[in-house]
Amino acid sequence: MTALRASAITVRFGGLVAVQDVTFTVGEKQIYAVIGPNGAGKTTLFNAMTGIYEPTSGEVQFAGRSVCLTFSTRVAVRIALSALACALSSLIALNVQDLWQATIIDNYQYAQPFPWVESAHDCFDALVGLMRSGGAWTAILGGVAGGGAAAVLWWRSRRTPDLIARAGVARTFQNIRLFNELSLVQNVLVGMDHRMRAGFWSALMRLPRFHDERKHFHSESVELLTFVGLADRADYAAGSLPYGLRRRLEIARALAAKPNIILLDEPAAGMNPSEIVDLMTLIRRVRDAGTTVVLIEHHMRLVMGVSDRILVLQYGRQIAEGTPAEIRANPACVEAYLGTESHG
Amino acid sequence: MQDSEVFLQQLITGLSNGMIIALIALGYTMVYGIIELINFAHGDVFMLGAFLALTLLGMFGMEAWPQHWQLAGVVLMLVSCAAFCGTLNWSLDRLAYRPLRRASKLSLLVSAIGCSFICTNLGLFWGGMPMDVFAGGVAAAAPKDFPQLVPQYNLLGESAVRVVPADIAVLVVTIPLMIALVYLVKRTRLGRAMRAVAQDSTAAALMGIPVDRVIGVTFFIGGALGGFASVVYALYNNTIGFQMGYRAGMDAFTAAVLGGIGSLPGAVLGGLTIGCVRAMSDQYVETRWTNTIVFGILVLILIFRPSGLLGSTRREKV
Amino acid sequence: MSRWRPGPISIIVFVAALLPMCELMLPQSAHITEAVRGVFLYAILALGLNVVTGYAGLLNLGIAAFMAIGAYAFAILTCEIYPFQFGFWPGLLLTLPIGALFGFLLGAPTLRLRGDYLAIVTLGFGEIVQDVLKNLDTITKGTQGINPVPAPSFGGSMWTADDEYKWYYLLLALMVVVILGVRNLERSRLGRAWFSIREDELASRSMGIRVERIKMLAFSAAAAIAAFAGGISASMLSSTGEPSNYDFQVSVLALCIVIVGGIGSIAGVLVGALVMIGLNSIVLVKATAALDALGIGAQGNVLLSPNNWKYLIFGLALVLAVRLKPHGLVPPRIERRAS
Repeated sequence: MTALRASAITVRFGGLVAVQDVTFTVGEKQIYAVIGPNGAGKTTLFNAMTGIYEPTSGEVQFAGRSVCLTFSTRVAVRIALSALACALSSLIALNVQDLWQATIIDNYQYAQPFPWVESAHDCFDALVGLMRSGGAWTAILGGVAGGGAAAVLWWRSRRTPDLIARAGVARTFQNIRLFNELSLVQNVLVGMDHRMRAGFWSALMRLPRFHDERKHFHSESVELLTFVGLADRADYAAGSLPYGLRRRLEIARALAAKPNIILLDEPAAGMNPSEIVDLMTLIRRVRDAGTTVVLIEHHMRLVMGVSDRILVLQYGRQIAEGTPAEIRANPACVEAYLGTESHG
Repeated sequence: MQDSEVFLQQLITGLSNGMIIALIALGYTMVYGIIELINFAHGDVFMLGAFLALTLLGMFGMEAWPQHWQLAGVVLMLVSCAAFCGTLNWSLDRLAYRPLRRASKLSLLVSAIGCSFICTNLGLFWGGMPMDVFAGGVAAAAPKDFPQLVPQYNLLGESAVRVVPADIAVLVVTIPLMIALVYLVKRTRLGRAMRAVAQDSTAAALMGIPVDRVIGVTFFIGGALGGFASVVYALYNNTIGFQMGYRAGMDAFTAAVLGGIGSLPGAVLGGLTIGCVRAMSDQYVETRWTNTIVFGILVLILIFRPSGLLGSTRREKV
Repeated sequence: MSRWRPGPISIIVFVAALLPMCELMLPQSAHITEAVRGVFLYAILALGLNVVTGYAGLLNLGIAAFMAIGAYAFAILTCEIYPFQFGFWPGLLLTLPIGALFGFLLGAPTLRLRGDYLAIVTLGFGEIVQDVLKNLDTITKGTQGINPVPAPSFGGSMWTADDEYKWYYLLLALMVVVILGVRNLERSRLGRAWFSIREDELASRSMGIRVERIKMLAFSAAAAIAAFAGGISASMLSSTGEPSNYDFQVSVLALCIVIVGGIGSIAGVLVGALVMIGLNSIVLVKATAALDALGIGAQGNVLLSPNNWKYLIFGLALVLAVRLKPHGLVPPRIERRAS
């Protein structure tokens, strides 16, 4: 089983090719590392996979499925409906006073019962009259604008990060992005959000369902914080955590989504050797719990220690792919990257 | 008047007003370009400039001066209003914005709204000044008449389309200012520093650019442009009031966004467009719908092309 | 759920409930319940603004427009010069979905905008709504406003402006209902999602939060609450007043309440409303009365009319609040313990 397949990913910013023609496959429950010198395009590759950037070309599949929304009847119906709604409302909006006059004022006499049926009839007549006297153009224009807007919205939301996250892909960021004003528990709970089912009304009315769900996810988030060793600070603001612990919280937040794949962007950055050993244990435990791990890392001891396979990037191209032993033996990799690393 | 003449007349009015809007829009766009703040108070700084112009006019009794002396009076007003508005804008930055450089964008914007209200209130007080030009200061909130210093004859002689010297005066003031501004930003050391701060203020600071001073100067220049605009506006429209800053500010901001905020030619293009749209809407739709149309345009631009006509998009760094 | 302890909100509500009884012991001239009603009304409006600006971090400068929409919708639905003639309660409840619908209409196209652009669009929307209400005079009676707007009636007779304490407790009760609703949303999945997009939109999107939908809900909820406040105010004044009663100044007053009180904090909004409306409708009004009594009223000098200081007070409140008390007088309850 493959958890992730990236085929011929290319990302271009204007004239700059950040990632070119990268293809790789990650098996289920593997730990897969992406390495390469700074500026090799590793983070860009992650961003392209998680929907933050749109790849210029190429395709990413998670568990054999492309996450990208395809054009379906539902989308077509939605576009058509919004075109219709916009056509009608632009027609009404531009002639609202005349319609009001014909429908309400002409039919209503003070303190008399209102003839609803008749006025609805008048309203319809007035609308038809408007369509005949040039209003059709307004309606067409409004319809085109509304349908166009809906189509553009759909096109833009085909492949958004939230869609990919909901498909079971969670990630962390190179420059840690926690919700600093929220407590640790709340940070983790945000990660669980898309697994929750209680919606607006059950929250507003405090229905039993809301309480059940809250209890369940709260205890789960405390468990998760225990897993990464932060349970004793559960109610502190995330912004008050020291740097090394923030990465753990970010990992916990990503794990909260119960993802099939977790993408870690430089999880060991800024950690001291003993923290790195802890991190390696953590990564293995995450994998043993059934999650595929893809990581970007510069610390060779960590990469060589935990990874099942490694992808090497340089200047946006992939120069090698294989097991740690193969990479270590590959002269191109040693020259490009390992050779400059003192503790490799 | 024939249809084409009506159209031409509205076009002239629109372009003249558009140049004034463009001058105010430049102040918005410069400040936004450098610290990404919508300087809400800019319109009110402009309004206070117009009040200063009227005060000077009353103090020296310029209305009674002979024609060519009045010209000198206008120059005096332009210079002093520019200096005043520039200083005022600079002090707003110094007092209300600079302490918030590290705070969230929301706080900065809220602070700017606060400054705008303070300036509006100062305008209201100013309107209550016991001077003849302010109608004795009895009705402080009422709009004030600004005497016509520029003669009103038609430069085209007997033609139905009127081009008055005020139209020309608008061009004579605004165009050299815009050229000077472009020169300043593109060709001088200061301009290079401004562009550097706009792109990355941290890196600029590391390279030894005095970031706060550059931002202060930007505020001063933006405010000074507003000061010039205020005199031209008062001469052209002949009425000022303490709430005109809000209206003019909205128009100018719309212009800046339309042209692409941060872009100097964009602000001018946007200003001219908004001026013409207003004039045409006054003529062909209805005056009472003009504001709705202008705001409608603003919303449409922001939705479909948030970078504006001449602006460039910026990508968030992840 | 932990044991219930009286927090600042319940203390404020409790004191407010006792206020009329204490007031009856004082002479007529010291009565302030009528002004305190204004505090409740603006507290409701500001609670709405707090949802969108405080929780979701989206600066909305056009909240007064939704208040106007609510007031006019309520008037058109209930007033007897229109055929609909709903009662007070159905009319008031209908302001909620109507407000939410307009919130949706404004929100739908603008959600992708950056924060400061959104502020401008909402500001523009506030202006457009005033203009539209003024210009569609066939429907809205233009600058006259719609009146008389009915008041609630319990047991047959409709309330009048003389039923001072009935109105007082009605507004207090409605405010409590809104507080409960907003608090329930705040302490839920939705509230957490709002906070998360305020803190870091991209990160929350990458966590699977559907940012557009969440923002939309914030916008609509805020609009619904503001429209609700508008409906109440129209009923209390028995008229919608003219459209320019709902101008930028009202939006900024609501913003002042939220910023001064504590952005994102319900107790903060209540305290902010007390401070700002206290200044606006108690201190300024009493000062005007005092100056008039001394014979140096509004005619003399612009500086001597306290009403002319409103803008200055609002402006200074905003500038000083963000500078000196960025989290407001009653900041939201977050654990900030250093580790």
